[in-house]
Amino acid sequence: MYLVYILIFPGLLFSTVFGLYLAGIDRKVVARMQKRTGPPVLQPAYDFFKLLGKETIVPGGAARRTFLIAPYIGLASLIVTVLFIPIGGLQAFGGMADMVVILYLITIPSLAMIFGGSASASPYAGVGVSRSMVAIMAYELPLILVLLAVGKAAGVNAVTFSLEQVTLYQQFFGSFLFDWRLIPAALAMLLVIPCEVGAHPFDVGEAETEICEGPLVEYSGAPLAVFKLSHAVKMFVMTALFTALFLGGISTGMLWLDVVIAIVICTVVTLLCMTLLHAVTARLKVEQMFKFFWTVVSGLALVSLLLVWFVN
Amino acid sequence: MNYDIYSHFPVLAVMLYFVGAFIVTLIGKRRTARNIVAGAVMLISLALLLALVGPVMLDGEIITYWMGDWEPAAGYAIGIAIEVDALSLFFGLLAAIAVALAGFYSFKYITQDDANGPFFTLFLMLSGGVMGILLSGDLFNIYVMLEVMTFAAVGLTAFRTWNPNAREAAFKYLVVGSIGSSCILLGIALVYAQCHTLNLAQISAILPGNLNPTTILAFALLFAGFGCKSFMFPFQPIAADAHGAAPSSVSVLISGVFTKTGVYGIIRVSYFLFRTMGLTSIQTMVVFIGCLSMFVCVTMALNQHDFKRLLAFHSISQIGYILTALGLCTGIGIAGGLYHAINHTLFKGLLFLVAGSVLYGTGTTYLEKLGGLARKMPQTAALFMIGALSISGIPPFNGFASKWMIYQATFEKAAETGSIGYALVTVVCVVTSVLTLASFVKVGQSVFFGQLPLEYENVRETPLSMRIPMWIMAALCVITGLFPEQMIQYVIGPASAAVLNVPAYIDSAMGAGYAALTMADYSYLAEPVISFIGFWDPVSWLVLFAIVMCAITLASLMGKRSRGAVTLADDERHAVFFGGEAAEYSHVAGADLFWGFKHNLRGYLGFMSRAHSGVTNDYVIWGVCALAVITAYCFIFI
Amino acid sequence: MMLANYIGAVALFVIGFYAMMVKHNIIQIVIGMGLTDYGLNLMIVSIGFNEGGTAPIYTFGELTSGMYFVDPIPQALTLTSIVIGACVTAMAMALCIRLYKEYGTLDARDIRRLHG
Repeated sequence: MYLVYILIFPGLLFSTVFGLYLAGIDRKVVARMQKRTGPPVLQPAYDFFKLLGKETIVPGGAARRTFLIAPYIGLASLIVTVLFIPIGGLQAFGGMADMVVILYLITIPSLAMIFGGSASASPYAGVGVSRSMVAIMAYELPLILVLLAVGKAAGVNAVTFSLEQVTLYQQFFGSFLFDWRLIPAALAMLLVIPCEVGAHPFDVGEAETEICEGPLVEYSGAPLAVFKLSHAVKMFVMTALFTALFLGGISTGMLWLDVVIAIVICTVVTLLCMTLLHAVTARLKVEQMFKFFWTVVSGLALVSLLLVWFVN
Repeated sequence: MNYDIYSHFPVLAVMLYFVGAFIVTLIGKRRTARNIVAGAVMLISLALLLALVGPVMLDGEIITYWMGDWEPAAGYAIGIAIEVDALSLFFGLLAAIAVALAGFYSFKYITQDDANGPFFTLFLMLSGGVMGILLSGDLFNIYVMLEVMTFAAVGLTAFRTWNPNAREAAFKYLVVGSIGSSCILLGIALVYAQCHTLNLAQISAILPGNLNPTTILAFALLFAGFGCKSFMFPFQPIAADAHGAAPSSVSVLISGVFTKTGVYGIIRVSYFLFRTMGLTSIQTMVVFIGCLSMFVCVTMALNQHDFKRLLAFHSISQIGYILTALGLCTGIGIAGGLYHAINHTLFKGLLFLVAGSVLYGTGTTYLEKLGGLARKMPQTAALFMIGALSISGIPPFNGFASKWMIYQATFEKAAETGSIGYALVTVVCVVTSVLTLASFVKVGQSVFFGQLPLEYENVRETPLSMRIPMWIMAALCVITGLFPEQMIQYVIGPASAAVLNVPAYIDSAMGAGYAALTMADYSYLAEPVISFIGFWDPVSWLVLFAIVMCAITLASLMGKRSRGAVTLADDERHAVFFGGEAAEYSHVAGADLFWGFKHNLRGYLGFMSRAHSGVTNDYVIWGVCALAVITAYCFIFI
Repeated sequence: MMLANYIGAVALFVIGFYAMMVKHNIIQIVIGMGLTDYGLNLMIVSIGFNEGGTAPIYTFGELTSGMYFVDPIPQALTLTSIVIGACVTAMAMALCIRLYKEYGTLDARDIRRLHG
């Protein structure tokens, strides 16, 4: 049973397939919004398999082992993270990692990309590494504020870091998205998601037009495919985290239906916070993005924390 | 069970270092003999302390040893006591391990220096001083050992004759450190005036009941003095100077052990002698100072251009975590703080040794000059990664386990007291953690990855005798990170229980029943309750990770036929793409990184950089101001 | 009489800190450290002083109840503290000599290679 969790649902197989599907939908809808036909929904999957078949070139001057291992570490840690997030009441492995742990676990893939890019010895990667790290610094402050606000709201008189308890609380008292005190936090979280995934308009680290995809500039073949896959899975992880934090209260009594609903919500959230933003905005500059996250987004999250703290 | 035999171990452990220092001086320049003596001394002391683990940590015994058999008479402790409870032993073991590893590292490391004869004399004096402070049960003895330790540390800071900055750093260290020493001595004098005894246990029994202006002043002075020894804000600039100038193995001691004596002193002063930690105002003060140290030092670290100076600022930043956690005065807070103390010694020691290896191999630690060393020193790079991930708190390494406990402690405290301030402390902790990560990404990018400068083409891997201590430290980093539950049960638990179990400490020295006689109201929580509000199971994570990793490997093996080849090539065709620039000008390193962050905080960072002006007088002014503020605060709010 | 001692001790202490804070000559800083130390010594020895007490030197059998002498422990502490203070001064002066050789100045404002 555990092996099924790990390898099929919600682990390896499902998260990769669903991640690629989310990436496909994202591209398709952006194209429709911009009055283009766009690629088929399965295009990211095609790209993935095509990249697998290409030659992997390790540039001279790179630190080879780090360069080749980094993408796989990132993907694996991402898939393990999926197992700790309750999806529609189904939690594959409970009692192993709480919200703060997840906050740290989702930095590992970004870190893998940073060190992998760093190991390629390219100056473009160097700039990309610097920018990706600034992105992590930017979103970490609002994200912890959001988590604390949720932890306080779900803890009733005490506080909690446990995602399970957050879900349980919502099943009894209704989802946090409909709690007016937590609406600013939910908005902040919706803005954190594209930054964590590295999507428009916060994709400073991989800006194709400026620094040739930053850390990924020297990657090719299978490692690049794995990075692209991690990128897709990250969308799923972040939207699932959002769903668990703010929409965990949907309960029909049937587990499979709950799970399906959660998955649909994930898709909707992706459309909302990534596709919509992607279609209507241009990339921010690094310092603009940092300022935006440490002032506006953090402000929203802080407002929520204060409301949760002082208003019952 | 009879523990008589054990009671001689602590004093032997202290003595051995000093005897060793003496013998090493006699031996002089014969390197092999000197190394054997120094190594034996360090190992035997470590073994003696390890032998105490059974009775003290596991059975909860407190060992008291009266020097010259001067036991307390007529209710007054006149003799000098050596008293080892779980807290002392905890820090003592930490110190002994760090000393042994750093010592074995130095055998090879200091062969580059021209005057390596006196090195081990000072090194063992420093270790002996540290051990004396940690195991002593006498306040004045602590002061004397503190001076011995400071002396040896100043000597070792000035040790490198070829380093042009060493004397400057040593002088600043001596001057600013003397503020701390003076404060401690004055505090001890005032305590003596009140209690007419210097025995820690007896003072803890007599003093806490009467908080009058003298004792409040004494508390403020002792707190500031030990704070100076732990380099908390605003004493951090001298730490940065001293670490940068000292040999790396000494930096391990200064950061991993020397600062811990300051932390230990603060624990003894505020949990035992005055028991002021129960007061909300003092908790607020300690947590505030901890947060300031944490944040100011980590932002300073992001500004640095020198590997070791950067590490020095991080060292103080981590001390800030420890102070914050200890200032909460809850079971999980104390446990988290002590846990972080272990981890700090291990990962900081590892990183300093890595910096030493880089210096040994290349002759510089200047971030802008280095680059691409991972190809030449793959093991050192791997060790650096372990250290960097540990200190940045990336699971499953040890830094995460303790930081995670500190987050919970602060957040729980916020819920308990209903004050949102503590929740913001959690936020500061998390932000500091991510800034730490950022500055280690900077080090990784600048030193180990990126382009290899031409002059380092012939750099070789660190010698084996230097790698072994580093690997041991790395292994300890992983082990302490993977088994937090066992760590808490066997190591942290007894130590944090000892922090709150003052009556047992008093009774062991003064005879059973003494604590009950003199202690008016003992309003402390006697048994620390370590309650978690979250969960983290590193071993399961590792197992899951391994399974997923296996699955991915299997999948990629099965699809091998359809997969492209891997080309490892050094020819021109596969060189890194530069876009026309010459390779040597395009390494993105050091100050080039994190532009967006630095740009937004330029006002703050510029101010901080100017404030660390390098003028001795300025640092003295900072220190005296801190002393004045702490004293005023104590008088107003106690 | 004791009050004068305490005032003197505090005055020495404050003057010492003042010298360390304000004087830019590193020799003067070292002198400030010394003054602080003397203030401390005076303070400690005054703490143990009893008005009209004799010296605390007795052999076996001499000590009977009702004898009045000054507290010996602070005197022992002061001796230790004087020794430590002398060592600190010696070490600081040695460093000053080296600093003068290396930097060509005794001005603390010019001895700041390590900053920022």
